[in-house]
Amino acid sequence: MRKKVLSLALVTVMALSLAACGAKEEAAAPAAEPAKEAAAPAAEAPAAEAPAAEASGADVNGDGKVVIGYISKNIVDPFHAPINEAAQQALDKMKADGVIDDWTGILDGETDPNKQIDRANDCIAKGCDIVIMLPAESEASDPALLAMNDEGIKVLEVNSKTASCDTKAFAFFGSDDVQAGEMLANWVLENCKNGGKYIHCTGILGNSAQIDRGQGIENIMKDHPEFEKVGEPDTQWKGDLAANAATDGIAQYGDELVAIICDNDDMSSAAQRACNDAGRKDIVCVGVDGNQNPLQMVKDGELGATVLQDGIGQVMGAIEAIQTMVNGGEVKSNPQIPFVLVTKDNVDQYLK
Amino acid sequence: MSQSKVGSISRQDMINDLLGKYGIGVVMLIMMAVISIMEPAFLTGRNIINVATQISINGLLTYGLCLSITTGGIDLSVGAQLALTSCMIGVCLRDGMPVALACLAGIGIATLFGFINGILIAKFNMFPFVVTLSTQLVIRGLSQVISNGQAIPITSDAFKEIYSGKFLGIPIPIVIFVLITIIMYLMLHWTRFGRYIFAVGGNVNAAIASGISRFWVLVGVYTISGILSGIASIIFTAKTGSAQSNIGIGYETDAVAASVLGGTSFAGGIATIPGDILGIFIIGFIYNGMNMLGVSSYYQSVVKGCIIIGAVLMDMVMIRRKR
Amino acid sequence: MSEEVRNAEYLLDCENISKSFGGTHALKGVQLHVKPGEVHALLGENGAGKSTLMKCIIGLLKPDDGTIYFDGKPFQAKGPVDAINAGISMIHQELNPEPHLTIAENIFLNREDVRGIFLDKKKQNQRAQVILDNFHMNYPAQTKISALTLAEVQMIEIIKAVSTQAKLIIMDEPTSSLDSHETDRLFEVIRDLKAKGVAIIYISHRMEEIFQICDTVSVFRDGTFINSMPLKEVSRDTLISMMVGRKVTNIFPKVDCNIGDVVFKAENISGKGFKDISFEVHAGEILGFSGLVGSGRSETMRAIFGLDPLYGGKMYLDGKEIHNKNPRDAIRKGIAMVNEDRKNYGLCLTRSIRENISLPNLPAKQKGLLINRKREKIDCEEYASQVHLKAASIEHDAFSLSGGNQQKVVVAKWIMANPKLLILDEPTRGVDVGAKSEIHSLMCQFAAEGLAIIMISSELPEVMGMSDRVIVYHEGSISGEFKREEIVNERVSQEDILARAFGA
Repeated sequence: MRKKVLSLALVTVMALSLAACGAKEEAAAPAAEPAKEAAAPAAEAPAAEAPAAEASGADVNGDGKVVIGYISKNIVDPFHAPINEAAQQALDKMKADGVIDDWTGILDGETDPNKQIDRANDCIAKGCDIVIMLPAESEASDPALLAMNDEGIKVLEVNSKTASCDTKAFAFFGSDDVQAGEMLANWVLENCKNGGKYIHCTGILGNSAQIDRGQGIENIMKDHPEFEKVGEPDTQWKGDLAANAATDGIAQYGDELVAIICDNDDMSSAAQRACNDAGRKDIVCVGVDGNQNPLQMVKDGELGATVLQDGIGQVMGAIEAIQTMVNGGEVKSNPQIPFVLVTKDNVDQYLK
Repeated sequence: MSQSKVGSISRQDMINDLLGKYGIGVVMLIMMAVISIMEPAFLTGRNIINVATQISINGLLTYGLCLSITTGGIDLSVGAQLALTSCMIGVCLRDGMPVALACLAGIGIATLFGFINGILIAKFNMFPFVVTLSTQLVIRGLSQVISNGQAIPITSDAFKEIYSGKFLGIPIPIVIFVLITIIMYLMLHWTRFGRYIFAVGGNVNAAIASGISRFWVLVGVYTISGILSGIASIIFTAKTGSAQSNIGIGYETDAVAASVLGGTSFAGGIATIPGDILGIFIIGFIYNGMNMLGVSSYYQSVVKGCIIIGAVLMDMVMIRRKR
Repeated sequence: MSEEVRNAEYLLDCENISKSFGGTHALKGVQLHVKPGEVHALLGENGAGKSTLMKCIIGLLKPDDGTIYFDGKPFQAKGPVDAINAGISMIHQELNPEPHLTIAENIFLNREDVRGIFLDKKKQNQRAQVILDNFHMNYPAQTKISALTLAEVQMIEIIKAVSTQAKLIIMDEPTSSLDSHETDRLFEVIRDLKAKGVAIIYISHRMEEIFQICDTVSVFRDGTFINSMPLKEVSRDTLISMMVGRKVTNIFPKVDCNIGDVVFKAENISGKGFKDISFEVHAGEILGFSGLVGSGRSETMRAIFGLDPLYGGKMYLDGKEIHNKNPRDAIRKGIAMVNEDRKNYGLCLTRSIRENISLPNLPAKQKGLLINRKREKIDCEEYASQVHLKAASIEHDAFSLSGGNQQKVVVAKWIMANPKLLILDEPTRGVDVGAKSEIHSLMCQFAAEGLAIIMISSELPEVMGMSDRVIVYHEGSISGEFKREEIVNERVSQEDILARAFGA
């Protein structure tokens, strides 16, 4: 009996406390501002009376502190790891130098829009002023942007755009994936003069990078009937799957297969390695990103080229923009950071 | 001693019982205290609402897994069910179906696959692990088929209201979660079906010999797991505003973790919904709390794993003391 | 008296052992002295503390107080492996051998013959074969355990204990699943061991066996030590009254009651392990089934109850033909069955007593969609006290109960189902004397209320003492039938029934 009461009580208490929290939120929201101001040290009182946003361009919510949020796309893949690393160092330094008061650390988006929305709400709860976000999905991660935008947070999208980026994000720092797709296709055109069959290894279907890069490839290839796309395997950004697709392709099409175009260069490097191992060094594999492993292969002459997306350049653009905002300066809303075709000639510049 | 002695529980027993059952609650309180001392913003109404909204998806999946684990099985298909329901809803909405019908269609298809899981497991005596591991592939594949592998944007604001809307000031995902929690609580602890779930999980032979149909219990459990995944997917899809086939990968992990934290025994036959609620909140607090504290994401996985092992260990020690 | 070397007269010497769980004192300063080469019976009702003391000896539990001396030295095993190494082996009442291992692998589990890092299967099988032959077990050592009967598995466990060169072997209800033939073989083994100087602690509820094989007896009651004496000096009635703290005048309290109409009738039914069985049982009648273990009695009942398929034949309940596809059908029609395998078919040990009792009876406790838990609790408590269940609360796990009390829970659950026909398969196996006579009284009470009862028992005195009629099985067929008058008038003896069971 007692146990029953207890368990029922637990459920009710949970429901009630949530309801209470909900009600409190409405009531507490206006009350919170004065409370915060009252809590501020007396010396800052004049500053608090004036709209705080004017005091520093970066203290968006006017609580006297500049707090930066950073929502990564993920913390594991080789393209995003160096970006996160660079951001971590830069933001830590800004915090140490007193340029900003705090930042959230690298929040893990787990390449999952649901998790990114959760992290956005965490940023709101923590009282962030500016949030850097590397979206996982164009449509599905958009609510994260909208939620933060509704709270007045300035969102800097980096690397790829969400659906309402152009209207709701404060700025976008990225490169045009369609352009990257076109560069891939052009590289194949240059290196396979006679045309032939090619395979397109896709990223996870529905990712904006996958969609746009595929679009870029199509833009070029549709004018070149000498090339025939013989497969579009769902290789999910994964090197091992692309390598399988490569060996399958060689087995099926033999010498007719001339190229494998990949949505990223984890896949192109793995595919090239598989081709090389099968004695088909002539197959042209190319992809986007500029990860360390493909770059090394370019340097070693195992891979012809790779299209580098300057992710670090993108995120550093966003961080410099924060610096500018703290100083009260103007920020450009859509600076383009161009893709770079990396071949043996310029590889040393990008290889760490 | 010769005459019978069936009375009420002594105080000592009750304390042990509570510790055994709700020791995990102590873990949660300690966690909450530590985080809130370090980051005052953690224990604000706003953040609690935030966490409660965040956990609703995992919460629903947890109840489904709790049921299948309690019968001695597991449902690995919940993540794929999220994707299939999402795509189903996306396609239906795109074709102009009313929101309610689209939701029903989404839940319907998840229910169907839950039912299929149940039939395969109960009728053909296949291992739940193998069955759901395989149907998971079928389900995700189908979601790719019906969505063409593309993200389908959800334009219906009425549908998105399911996530962003409020009922009496409470976000709707929380309302759904609380409602389902109450239903699950009553179902598991107050109905015959719940009793039969425990019996089949605790000792399937004894359950059969007591006149229980193992078949219908298992079919029921996996079907309910499907329904819950379907509802979770509605929240998910309304939240992200996009229907796509690549969502929900690995979602069973957090759900299994929450379920186990909540005292669900992998040996079968033991589970409580109040325990599950605690487990669900602990998982939610782990994510939210560590982000609030600025714990490096690189360490978060490690910490999460350690907390789960620690909590389960603590739970076991307490149960052993009870015995 | 703590650390000095003890009188070497005793092999095992337990002094003043106490152990409590929570607030319950399971053992209150008990003692036990076992000499080398003696068979020492340990008697007591379930919950008297026998198992707890044994667990202390083999290190599964640590006593709160008191000292155990083994071979004259203080001894506290850290676990069963420790105890085995010291020379103490225990054969548990409920066996858990690995069914997919071979006999040899089971016997040498944890002490395999190895050559380098590899198992030396050949040597192991040879060694096992030698031991098996010594015990007249006609099986190759490579036979899988799953191919053996329960009784044979029991023998394997005993062989395993003997093969560890134990100085002391604890046998907890070793004959509970053996028929009388197998029991005799076990006794030969015990006498042999005794001659070699091995001491045996023999826990059993079967008085006949204790008088037959044991030298000394110690009696426990409610966690206290009552007395210890040579068996030659005590009578059976004295022992029973020591155990239960009162005098039990009649061990089989069978009361004759009015036998009514036929309730259940089987006509030429066949199934796995039995064929062409016909019998009928009347309201108010207790129909006993006797025979050797494996003669098809339990199989018949399982098929009637719908647990196993019926190959042919017809069944009638209250004159109407019935088909039981599964136990649910049987229960709905009013047939209940207490299975011989309590652990596998009787209880969900992880769930509470209340849930176990009400499990088949929930439809009657329904209020709308939900269970009326108040009603359920009251009813379960009522039935629990009706079967004299000893438990602190019906909310405790069934796991926490002794064997006898678990059996009472099973009986309570089926009585609550209010059946027309109650099948009891070995209802008193592993149940202490007090609980046993309580179960017997209950059976009489139920019969008086008009219930038809079928009871399978391997204990001849029980079948003969409790039944209105006895049907004897031999290799899947009925080989004899006796009426109560014949037994009461001693026109039929134990020997007659045994003879039929052996097919004579």
